[in-house]
Formats: sequence, structure tokens, C-alpha cells
Amino acid sequence: MVEKETTVGPEAGLHARPAARFVKTAKEFSAEITVIKGDKEANAKSPLKVMTLAAKKGDGITIRAEGDDAQEAVDALVELISQDEH
Amino acid sequence: MDAEVKGKITGVAASEGVAVGPVFVHAPGELEPERENISEDAVEDELARFQGAVEAVVKKLSETAEGLRESGSEKEAGIFDAQIEMAEDPEVQEGVEERVKNLESPEVAVISVGEEYATLFAEMEDEYMAARADDVRDVASQIAAELMGHEATGLSALETPSVILARSLAPSDTARIPKGIALAFVTAEGSRTSHVSIMARSMGIPAVVGVGPDLEEAFEAETVAVDGGEGYAAVDPDPDTVAEFERKQERIEEEKAALEEYKHVEAHTGDGQRIEVSANLGSAEGAEDALGWGAEGVGLFRTEFLFMERPKLPSEEEQYEAYREMAQAFGEKPVIIRTLDVGGDKDLPGVDQPEEENPFLGWRGIRMCLDVPELFKPQLRAILRAASHGNLKMMFPMIVDAREVRRAKEIFEECRRELEEEGAETGSVEVGIMVETPAAVLCASEIASEISFFSIGTNDLVQYTLAADRGNERLRHLQGADHPAVLKLIEETCRAAREAGIWVGMCGEAAADPELIPKLVEMGVTELSMSAPSIPRAKKVVSEI
Repeated sequence: MVEKETTVGPEAGLHARPAARFVKTAKEFSAEITVIKGDKEANAKSPLKVMTLAAKKGDGITIRAEGDDAQEAVDALVELISQDEH
Repeated sequence: MDAEVKGKITGVAASEGVAVGPVFVHAPGELEPERENISEDAVEDELARFQGAVEAVVKKLSETAEGLRESGSEKEAGIFDAQIEMAEDPEVQEGVEERVKNLESPEVAVISVGEEYATLFAEMEDEYMAARADDVRDVASQIAAELMGHEATGLSALETPSVILARSLAPSDTARIPKGIALAFVTAEGSRTSHVSIMARSMGIPAVVGVGPDLEEAFEAETVAVDGGEGYAAVDPDPDTVAEFERKQERIEEEKAALEEYKHVEAHTGDGQRIEVSANLGSAEGAEDALGWGAEGVGLFRTEFLFMERPKLPSEEEQYEAYREMAQAFGEKPVIIRTLDVGGDKDLPGVDQPEEENPFLGWRGIRMCLDVPELFKPQLRAILRAASHGNLKMMFPMIVDAREVRRAKEIFEECRRELEEEGAETGSVEVGIMVETPAAVLCASEIASEISFFSIGTNDLVQYTLAADRGNERLRHLQGADHPAVLKLIEETCRAAREAGIWVGMCGEAAADPELIPKLVEMGVTELSMSAPSIPRAKKVVSEI
């Protein structure tokens, strides 16, 4: 299991386009990926779940992955979500 | 006379045309599954049915999105793209599966799961997220409707041509009405730019929106007369009003008939200048329809469609097939292919696109193509090969100077040499550019010496010249090609073209504007390209110059 904390970068938070992009990237990996914000968890491959987190710019989130490409998945998603220009 | 119309409710004139017909009130939330539960041995079958229903809904949504892209309604198409993602959401699937395993019927299960998300979204303080609640409900009810068979839902089961009344209409509501059944839309909510208005215009039916609570007056009515051009509806109209509407209808029909005779003529101005009137198309599917409207070619063949919503970039072969099909459909008539014009606002498979704050001022169009040969070259090779089957021309988008044109041409020539070495059959292809940046106009003389034609893309030229986002509602007064600054740029483009001995076309919305056409022709534009249904009117306007 690989886990990493980061901060939401995009102005619009993790919905609309940033969420779609995030989910799309997550789907490129075979690992099971979870996004955690506070006490809420979401399947990173589910756009609806990811949107229910209502993650805003500056919110701390954790990305956790389990599976063959877990490390790559976490690195890619952390990099994606921490960028502020989305 | 209008003031005397009895039972008149007024709203926003959202889509032209008149209609009189029986009332159908669309009240969402009417979907009531008959079966609550299923038996234990049916679980597997029901899960398979659910998968089938999801696939069917996704297919329909994709078709609607494609159709909207074809007609240039990119933003509307995006709504359906998002709905597709929701329909395929793994968590929704899992939620439904669990409920079905607990012997809930799949239709009840999908509605409940959809409602769970909708409730979560609706509770969020964010307006955008609250709107997603409607989207999730919409998707869930589409899947449920599919599971229950079509007769289960109001709108898709409608058989009598009717005037549709509703508080609001979701894009999927309008999309699922059987063809020819909706005579008109009247809605309590909405503006000229709401989904329902855009859909009505693309369906060619009258619509009055934003009439407010007055709409309820009409719910009990038997018939309603709608004038979408004037923006009002008459509830249970008396015979005089009906007669008036019939006269209006006749006038509209006469106008249409008058245009009919212009469909297949060649348009000449009074002093003999020939103006070619062509269609803007996104794929060969629209070719037959466009030829029917009298298209004399394709002035803008958008190729983005081939590249979107797919796991991999299209191969050269696939592009070749698409371009050949279009070339053959038009035969001798010219087809102008615009090379890929995509930026950071749309994802391209396999291309590492950085997120950009201003995608319209970003890495897009020719900029991206020049940087990514593996994107550009297969397209150029496919065009060269397809050119042996028809009259293909090609233009580069987003050009700002002659240097870009020269680089693009170099790559193009490189492709031609490669193909010749490989012994492949190629055809000749005239090269032009899209004039959509003020910079291209300022460099027009130098650019003109490199190419065979200019095609002015007014939508972007207006946006870049007036620094006004074309999606910004508050800037409507800065979104017209009739702004003096834009007209000056068009004039300058024509002047540079005349000097260099090349021709000028136009493929933005302005090309179909009856008020602007005489001015454009006077400046020296000799080709006008537009959405196909506008062609007869444009030919008529040209003939009357």
C-alpha cells in the first residue's frame, strides 16, 4: 500500500474539469486508488464519488493506492492534484 | 393585435417559428417502477439487463453528443459527455449490484442510487454541484426507463404531436422526444442560452422560455398556440387567434418555399460576381444533408471529432478513410479540411497537454501540431492520400505569422516526399490558413505569398480582436463580427489577398448573417461557409446584391 498527502491546487477545487481529469488519470492505473478527505473516502475512479468529497483549493487530501502500479499511480495523481493550474 | 390575444403568456423568444397544438405537460419524477423486488434466481439476469441498459443509455447519449458536435454545439455536447461518465461510474454500478443482490429490482435500485448522489450534491453550497444533482437524477431515470421499456416514460412515449410544457427541460428530455412529436417548447425557467433554447434551435422548433409561474395557467389547457419569434404563447386560443397563427405559419412556409428555389442555384451578385456558398461539417455523415441544402462544397471540415473521446489517436489509415469519404461525397466540389484545432480545453489521447489557465491563448491548433509531429504528420499524410479521390484543400488554424505557415508547409512537403518514396498515390492539395487572430491580419501580405487562400474564422477573430470571451453572457455586445475593428481586419485581409492574387472565404457565424453578407462581398470575400440550413438564405441574399 502506498499513501501520500497533498493539498488541492486548482482554483475550482476537485470538481468539474479537474475531477474529470483526475478520474481519467486514475483509470490509467490498475491499482485500487482511494482519495481521502477528512473522514470521507472516495474511489478515485468514480467521478461521482470524487465530486462528493467537495474538495476545495487548499484542502488537505490523501491518496492511497494498492496494487502493482500503486506507487506510479500515487505519484501521478499527487502531482496532478497539487498543481494550481487546472 | 398581439395585445388582444386572450390567455397570453409571455416569455423569452428562444427559437423562431409558430405552432398550435395539444398540450403535453412534462412533470419529472413521474417514473414509477412497477416492480419493487425480484426473485432470487433472477439476480444474474437482472444484473445483465442492467448492464445492457447502461450500454444502451451510453450509446444514446454518445449519439446525441455527436449530433450536437456536428451542429457546432460543443458546450451542449459536453453535458452529455459528463452524463456518460456518470452512467459508467463504477460506484453506481456497484451500488446497484448490491441492491439487486438484495433482491431489489434494478430500476428501483438505479433510481435509489442516483437519488443518493443527487441528495449529496443538492446539499452542497456550490451552485455548480447543485446542478449536478439534476444530471445524476436525469441519468438514473434514463437507465431506469430503459429497463422498464420505453413506454414507461412520458416524453419518449408521446405519440401525438404536442406543445411541450414544463418547468424546465433537461437536455436528455429534449433528446428523447420522438422525432416530429414536439411542436414547440414552453418552459417556466430558462433564457435564450439555456439548454432547452439551444436544443430547440438545433431541432428547428419554436420555443418560448422563462415565462415564470404564468405557465401553470396553461397546464389545464387543451391547446396552446406558440410564437417563438415573438416570445409568447396563447392558452386555449379562440378561433380568431388560431386563424392568425395559421396565417403566420403560412407566411413562414411561403418564405421557406421562396428560399427553396435558391437551394440549387449558383449565387451571383447583380454585377456578376460569383459567390460560392458552402457548408461547415464535422464528418461525412452530414454530407448528403448539406448537398440537399445546396452546399457547393465544404468550407470548413472540422477534424477534431476524429480525435476526441477515444483511448488512442486515430491512425493515418482511419483519418484517410474519413477524409476520402468526405472527398468522394462531394466529388468535384471543393472540401477544405482544417487541420487539428484542439487546445487545453479538450483532452487529446496520448498527448501530454499541460493544464492551462487560458486554453484559448494557449498551446492549441497549429502551435501544438508543429510541436508534435506524431500528431500532425499522420493527418497531413492522410489528407495527401485522400486528395487523389476528390477536390481537397487544407487550411491551418490559429496562424499568427508567416514563419508558422512556412514550417507547416515544410512538414507537409516532407510528408509528400515520404509518400512518393513509398509509392503511395497522392493528389494535389491547395494550402490556405484560417484568419482568426489579429496578428495574422497584420502579417497578411507576407502570409499571402505562401498560400492559395484565406478563410476568415469570425468567431475566434472577434474574440481575439475584442478581447471578449465568446462564452461570456455579459459581453454579448462585444461578440459580433459587425464591430468596426473586426470589419477593418476583414477588409485588410481582403486587400492583402487581392494584392497577392489569392481568394478569401469566411467560415464563421457571420458568413450566414444576411445583414453582413453584402458588406463581406463588397470587401472581396468570394466564399461563404455556414451550417447547411442557412445556405438557401445566404444564396438569396447574394443574388439580391
